[in-house]
Amino acid sequence: MRIESPRTGARQRNEEAYAALPAYGAARPEGSSYIMGGCGIAGVMNMAGEKVCGDRIARMLSTMSERENGLGAGYAAYGLFPDDLKDLYCLQFLFDDEKAMTVTEEYLKNRGAIVRDERVPTQRVDSLRPPRPIVWRYFFRPDPRSEKFRTKEQSEDECMVEAVMGINGAIPGAICISSGKDMAVFKGNGHSYEIAEHFDIARYDAAMWLSHSRFPTNSPGWWAGAHPISLLDWSVCHNGEITSYGVNRRFVEMNGYRCSLLTDTEVITYTWDLLVRRHGLPIPIAAVIMAPPYYRDIERLDENGKKLAYQLRATYKEAFLNGPFSILVGRSRPEITMVAMADRKKLRPLLIGESDDGKTVYAASEECAIRSVQERAETWEADPGSPMIARVGEGIVRRGIEPPFGVMDR
Amino acid sequence: MSAAERQGSVLRDRFLPFISEDCVRCGRCVKECSFDALVKQEGRIVANGGCVACMRCVEMCPSSAIEVRHAPPQMAPHPTFTGRVRESIIAQAGSGGVLLSSCGTDLPYDVIFDDIVLDAAQVTNPSIDPLREPIETITFVGRRSGRVRLDDGGRLLGGSGPLVAMDMPLMLGHVSLGAVSLNAQEALFMAAEKLNVLAGSGEGGLHPDMYRYADHVNSEVASGRFGVTPEYLRRTAAVEIKIGQGAKPGHGGHLPGEKVTELISSTRMIPLGTDALSPYPHHDIYSIEDLQQLIAVLKESTEYQVPVGVKIAAVHNVGAIASGVVRAGADFITVDGFRGGTGSSPRVIRDHAGIPIEVAIAAVDRRLSQEGLRNRVTLCAGGTIRGSADMIKALALGADVAMVCTAALVAMGCRVCQSCHRGVCAWGIATQRPELTSRLDPEQGARRIVNLFHAWNEELKEVLGAMGIDSVESLVGNRDRLRYLGPNPKLAEIMGIKHIGEGWG
Amino acid sequence: MTSVTSDVRIMRDGRKEATIDASSRDPHGRPVDQQTLNEEIRRVIAAGAGRISVTGVMGQRYIASACTDRELYIRIDGTPGNGLGAFLDGPTIEVFGNAQDMTGNTMACGRIIVHGNAWDVTGLAARGGRILIRDSSGYRVGIHMKEYGGSAPSIIIGGQAGDYLGEYMAGGSILVLGNGCRRSPVGSSIGAGMHGGSIYVRGPVEKHQLGIGAALQPLDDTDRQRLEDMISDFERCFSLRVTRNWPEYLKIAPLSSRPFCGHFDPIPI
Repeated sequence: MRIESPRTGARQRNEEAYAALPAYGAARPEGSSYIMGGCGIAGVMNMAGEKVCGDRIARMLSTMSERENGLGAGYAAYGLFPDDLKDLYCLQFLFDDEKAMTVTEEYLKNRGAIVRDERVPTQRVDSLRPPRPIVWRYFFRPDPRSEKFRTKEQSEDECMVEAVMGINGAIPGAICISSGKDMAVFKGNGHSYEIAEHFDIARYDAAMWLSHSRFPTNSPGWWAGAHPISLLDWSVCHNGEITSYGVNRRFVEMNGYRCSLLTDTEVITYTWDLLVRRHGLPIPIAAVIMAPPYYRDIERLDENGKKLAYQLRATYKEAFLNGPFSILVGRSRPEITMVAMADRKKLRPLLIGESDDGKTVYAASEECAIRSVQERAETWEADPGSPMIARVGEGIVRRGIEPPFGVMDR
Repeated sequence: MSAAERQGSVLRDRFLPFISEDCVRCGRCVKECSFDALVKQEGRIVANGGCVACMRCVEMCPSSAIEVRHAPPQMAPHPTFTGRVRESIIAQAGSGGVLLSSCGTDLPYDVIFDDIVLDAAQVTNPSIDPLREPIETITFVGRRSGRVRLDDGGRLLGGSGPLVAMDMPLMLGHVSLGAVSLNAQEALFMAAEKLNVLAGSGEGGLHPDMYRYADHVNSEVASGRFGVTPEYLRRTAAVEIKIGQGAKPGHGGHLPGEKVTELISSTRMIPLGTDALSPYPHHDIYSIEDLQQLIAVLKESTEYQVPVGVKIAAVHNVGAIASGVVRAGADFITVDGFRGGTGSSPRVIRDHAGIPIEVAIAAVDRRLSQEGLRNRVTLCAGGTIRGSADMIKALALGADVAMVCTAALVAMGCRVCQSCHRGVCAWGIATQRPELTSRLDPEQGARRIVNLFHAWNEELKEVLGAMGIDSVESLVGNRDRLRYLGPNPKLAEIMGIKHIGEGWG
Repeated sequence: MTSVTSDVRIMRDGRKEATIDASSRDPHGRPVDQQTLNEEIRRVIAAGAGRISVTGVMGQRYIASACTDRELYIRIDGTPGNGLGAFLDGPTIEVFGNAQDMTGNTMACGRIIVHGNAWDVTGLAARGGRILIRDSSGYRVGIHMKEYGGSAPSIIIGGQAGDYLGEYMAGGSILVLGNGCRRSPVGSSIGAGMHGGSIYVRGPVEKHQLGIGAALQPLDDTDRQRLEDMISDFERCFSLRVTRNWPEYLKIAPLSSRPFCGHFDPIPI
């Protein structure tokens, strides 16, 4: 005798189970220590800086429906604010309640000027589970002379890093989800299309979009824990798991960053900020540090390449991201840039696409994400550990198939 | 003890050799025994007292006719005044002397490594196959700069260095010529060359014949400054100032005059037959600024081309001491745990002073990280690393390199009988007597050491692969991959590792 | 949930042909979910369809998985998702578009023809059948392919393939033609741990690209026959001409069937 399985989709059955789990807004889930996942990433950039509507990225992400289970999704938009707001830091927050918001505003006012603030527009999506935190944005100018900063007379960027780490670590019920200029992150606990609808991202046109959909295996949904994970204008969408997390975490903490988001992606974001912004290293060098070539391949480089490669591996060994990963990284300065790369064993999928008219570049976990919005495109895989770099105004600067020191780009 | 020495002693032998019927009376065992524990009497081989269980006769007997049996003290059992305690009292009442021994402590302290288990990757992370996919174990020893600077053309402006690259995260610890024979030392150096790792020279200077291995020698500058010449400093691959040694923290060394043969005299550059004394402190280092000066002068003398490191014993304040040492300019720090071995040490120091290496590594690693210094130096740790599992756990606790000594000697023949200080090692290792040292063939010894560490490195790769890590630097300090399974959860907290059952974080 | 529309007609030869249109999208722009599409495909197979044409495919996974009818032909227009033809044991699948990852996973018999690229982990653990890819494939292609009982799998790639090609190979053949490649058409660690089977590459391969246990070996008559068979099949499928200038072809084969003897010590302690 056998009992046949019912005809409804398996995915729906699992999602009913997730609905019974507790969900969290800004406040950290109790008792959680680490959240793992298997996910989808997608990105699009108009290389002339023309605007791409948000529904395009939402469609890319949602096409990869198998890569999410409704426990988190997010979008980062670059180049979306008008000229009078582009040069201010746009801080977007998730607040669990008004109190968290008040404390945060006080904190910010002690450290600079809030030029403008507003509720981030949202729409009602019935299927989106509570809690639904308050999402608010502040256009902010920090004052490095403020007594409240621990380090005196530091740069504005450093002020912002200190402020964001301070709020995320110390103010309960408040999490800053983006803190860069001319960019913003929209994310939460829900399916990719639910989050897209909740934030009505179709109302935004941006030169570049990065996005991520989650498939956590063992944790409750948490608005703040979704990707992209962002600091200043850096945002990272990550598929995979970093086996060197303990080492990388200590390294970034030793350099002054505070990890509070319970996900390995956080260390990736801070490592990019440390290597590129603070240490001034070009993006391809940072990529070599995070996904270094094997020693046996270093031996076959020319003298200068060998010397440089050994220096990078020896000096920055704690920044090596071990384990399978594919990541999309975005920044807005000096120009809007997209970086796409996979680990040195290429254990996670990553497709790059360029539209036939040469105007748009795509990156995604699966080809169907690209094809669903761009019928005519060339697609290719980047080499393991080799970054694809595309920049507004310049196009695809690196295709991701060049040797490690082949194209020395900023 | 010889039969003569034993007269008047109430202490019985701890070991008794038994000769079975298979004995063919070749008398080889009598020749091989350097402790006069076997004699031929009326054609038969009989025990003569004084056996230390060095196992030489057992392994050399052509008919496998010898068995060495442990004969514990026969006094009435007592849990507090154990047989051993009573024997110590009786011995000292007779001699009035400081009890001496060698090797590492043999008191039954818990080995904390045995209370730690390793993580493996599953489902959310793939394991990597060490046989078919590259897993890298190359390890650098020396100073790192914390950041790389490039000019506008992408060329290097300064950076890390001097650095020595080793093929595996393991180095052979310091064993001095004097504590061991020249053949034993050559076996260690030869092995280091074949494995492409470093071997410590010990504080006895470097024999001229050993300079051919200089590229793999980590030369030691100890308090006695034996054999420290410009050539010694410049030609070797690294220089290490010995402040302390795990087995005898705070102590110097004492090689009695009768062991200062022509060989030792010329290598250490001291007169024949005089005692070779290593003072307890370096007499030019009474504080951290003085250490800074010694480090600086060594760097200047080697024109900054050779990493200069410092070895300290693991003691209670090891974290703070290590921090001071790094600030004083050390390129690498070696921490030697209290279970480490020695050729000779007072028992009271060997058995009771110092702290275990597991806790010391975690303390030093944490302290240096807190001060933002951890990524400027290489941390080497030893005492005792008995196998690849210990090495892996030491790395995960925070050490860049595992320092191994006793295991290498065991590979060459040592059976840890704790008689090194008597200078009559039957294996030709801890002795200077020519008839004994000739028993050790350096090439064969080297081959066995190479086999041993090659196997450990393959085991390291097996574990790294199982953890989903494809390069050893991603294990160093990755305490998340360890869990504590022992009786004292406070230890887990101090070492910064989670208890079994706790998830990721 | 969106649905598919299908339509079954009887062909002149009496066989049934089904057309399934998978192009509808839900209000969020999402394609038909894979379970719905695959259910429909199985339904028309059970209804006797001998030819199936699926259009508007956009990322649906596991299409035609574990299908067993040797006479069945499935045509796919669009981008099939991961796991196309997993456990395939008979049918022929022809894709007009790019395939994604894990195409032909543990395939036993049948044919998968892709007029485009197929990405990572193609042909994993295949035990028989043939996969033909007009353009390129990705990483970890042909891992642990094996031969048994007269059935030998083969993968033919027109362009290039990435690292770990044929890792753990125990039987079968892989051919990489290198069309349009300026550098080597294969990556590194080729044939790592291979202990059976052969990998053929048209283009330069250097020693450092070989994995543990793999070696470059000269072609013999069996190889040339095998190549002729694979090349002519490729030509027919894609209407392309491929050279038979054998000196351009390299063969990578195992050094031994027991590459790791001596690595382990079984002594009881």
